[in-house]
Amino acid sequence: MKTRLNRAEILASTPLRQALGLMGIVFAILLVTLGFAYVALRSSTEDSIRADLKQQTAVFQVAANPETLSVIVSAEARASDPSERAIAFVMSDGRQVGNVRVTHQGDRWVISRHPEYAPLSKHGYFTLTMPLAGGLLVIGESRAPIAELTSTFLAILVFSFVPSLLVSAAYGAWVGMRARKRVSAIEETLDDLTEGRLEARVPRDEVKARKGDDLARIGARLNVMAETQEATVAALRQVSADIAHDLKTPMQRISVLLSELQEALPEDTPPRTLAEQAGTEAERAVAVFHSLLRIAQIEGGSPKARFARVDLGALAADITELYEASAEEAGGALTLQRPDAPLMVHGDRGLLGQMLSNLIENAIRHGGPAPQIAVRLSRERGAIILSVADHGPGIPAAEREKVLRRLYRLERSRTTPGNGLGLALVHAVAGLHEAELQLSDNNPGLIVSLRFVGSAQSA
Amino acid sequence: MKLLLIEDDATTADYVLRGLREEGHTVDHLANGRDGLTQALGGTYDVMIIDRMLPELDGLSITRAIRAAKVTTPIIFLTAIGGVDDRIEGLNAGADDYLVKPFAFGELSARLAALARRPQAQSEQVMLEAGDLKMDLIARKVTRGGQEIDLLPREFSLLEFLLRRKGRVQTRTMLLEGVWDLNFDPQTNVVETHISRLRNKVDKPFDRDLIHTVRGAGYRIEG
Repeated sequence: MKTRLNRAEILASTPLRQALGLMGIVFAILLVTLGFAYVALRSSTEDSIRADLKQQTAVFQVAANPETLSVIVSAEARASDPSERAIAFVMSDGRQVGNVRVTHQGDRWVISRHPEYAPLSKHGYFTLTMPLAGGLLVIGESRAPIAELTSTFLAILVFSFVPSLLVSAAYGAWVGMRARKRVSAIEETLDDLTEGRLEARVPRDEVKARKGDDLARIGARLNVMAETQEATVAALRQVSADIAHDLKTPMQRISVLLSELQEALPEDTPPRTLAEQAGTEAERAVAVFHSLLRIAQIEGGSPKARFARVDLGALAADITELYEASAEEAGGALTLQRPDAPLMVHGDRGLLGQMLSNLIENAIRHGGPAPQIAVRLSRERGAIILSVADHGPGIPAAEREKVLRRLYRLERSRTTPGNGLGLALVHAVAGLHEAELQLSDNNPGLIVSLRFVGSAQSA
Repeated sequence: MKLLLIEDDATTADYVLRGLREEGHTVDHLANGRDGLTQALGGTYDVMIIDRMLPELDGLSITRAIRAAKVTTPIIFLTAIGGVDDRIEGLNAGADDYLVKPFAFGELSARLAALARRPQAQSEQVMLEAGDLKMDLIARKVTRGGQEIDLLPREFSLLEFLLRRKGRVQTRTMLLEGVWDLNFDPQTNVVETHISRLRNKVDKPFDRDLIHTVRGAGYRIEG
């Protein structure tokens, strides 16, 4: 079991993405509500500070002359902390009293520290200036409450959001990892079934444990499906074994009787010839039966469990070497073109060899009087292409689909040997190896090409 | 040779028995699986021929039981099925060879001979001979009557295969399996063509033929 998960897989898992998405929404809502509350609270605080300031000026307004006001301001200044409340009175002659200094810059009065008093507020001031008793009174209220308000709101945001983000991300990752493991258990089972290991099932605890949630239900359904498939294949095998036995036994007897008949008849007499012809026909019947059985088994997908790495290049070299002499005997030639590097596919050597043999035999048989046959192998963007081309009459475009069917034969080939199963077997073997089979025009002649995509392996 | 045949079909069994006895073998025959297994475990045989489909106990189970009892006698498995999986199944059960019904008697006979005298330790041989033909396995050179014969690599392997089994018939399928490592029946006479090319080089220029055709069976090289 490959339950080891990488980071990308966990990040891609649905639960984690959902948890993070949800947290994003929660954060946005929190930001909007807290933002509104902050703005409202801040403006009301500012308003109350300003009202407070205005009210304080009333105390100073009772003083009629600069001297009295100076005394009141000085007394107030000594009683106040300049970091909370700044107060200064600028007389007409420029002299100042108060716990801060004020200077006129442009059209504004700027507060600065008075050396005999405590430092200023770090947060700045709300200031109010008013002409009074021939001078100017400047009062400043610290902005500290607003700064506190801001930091309180930030603290609320951080303390309410960060922990829930961490908790839900962790939970999402945990759920995601568990779901991922369960999904990969299902995926592995599906892969096994596709590969022809029909006994593969989703593990029992994955199906049972979680009170019938969706993944458990899918797993259970998959198991039911796999069981049905296994039973069907087993039944099919039993039926073909029975048919094979019931048919083969009489065939065996016929062959036995015919060969005994041949032995009993004197050589080179017409009855002997007849007995020999009958023997040949019996052999043909057996060959057709064999091929049909074989195609049925291949299409059942069972041989996949035995797949191994096969070098298609070396196999093609063996098979073309086997047929080279036969092609020359027929007055033609058989050539092979292949790259030097091995061309590995995941497959069954015997079946691939038989497939290529059928294609070459077809080309020798139907490729015209002096068949020129070219077998080519190449690698194209990860796929391996195997093609067999001849210069014979070819197959009309309309017939190309049909020749892949079992026992279908072109009108003109009914008189030639062959049983109409060659291409059907090629089709079945190609399907088993996930190779695309294509019949095309060689102008003149036929090209049969097979494109191994899924089963092609890097050398 | 002393042989055991476990086969339930009377026609096939008669045919095989007659053929084997004609060849001078002693054959015990049983038509049912259970008795067959008892006999197989009790007697000493050179080769056992076991059918796959048998009443009471099937051939696969018999083969497994024989192997489980540490009896190493070569077994030829007969089967009616002959599908892609069945061959492997039979060999995995412990059979040494496999024959699909219907088969010609020549095929069975050739395979029996091959099993009874499996080439052992012959790989250490460096020189193979048949009559005046000599094959040097190290220099990969073939001469006949002192005259060198130029062979292609596959022709060399084919001749080597026949020479190593001198005097014994090798069938087309045995040659395909042994020389080309292929276990299906081509519809074309590929083996015949290769043999005829080999003959052109090995026999034709000389007065005596070494490679003989055995009617209805295969080929044999003689010394």
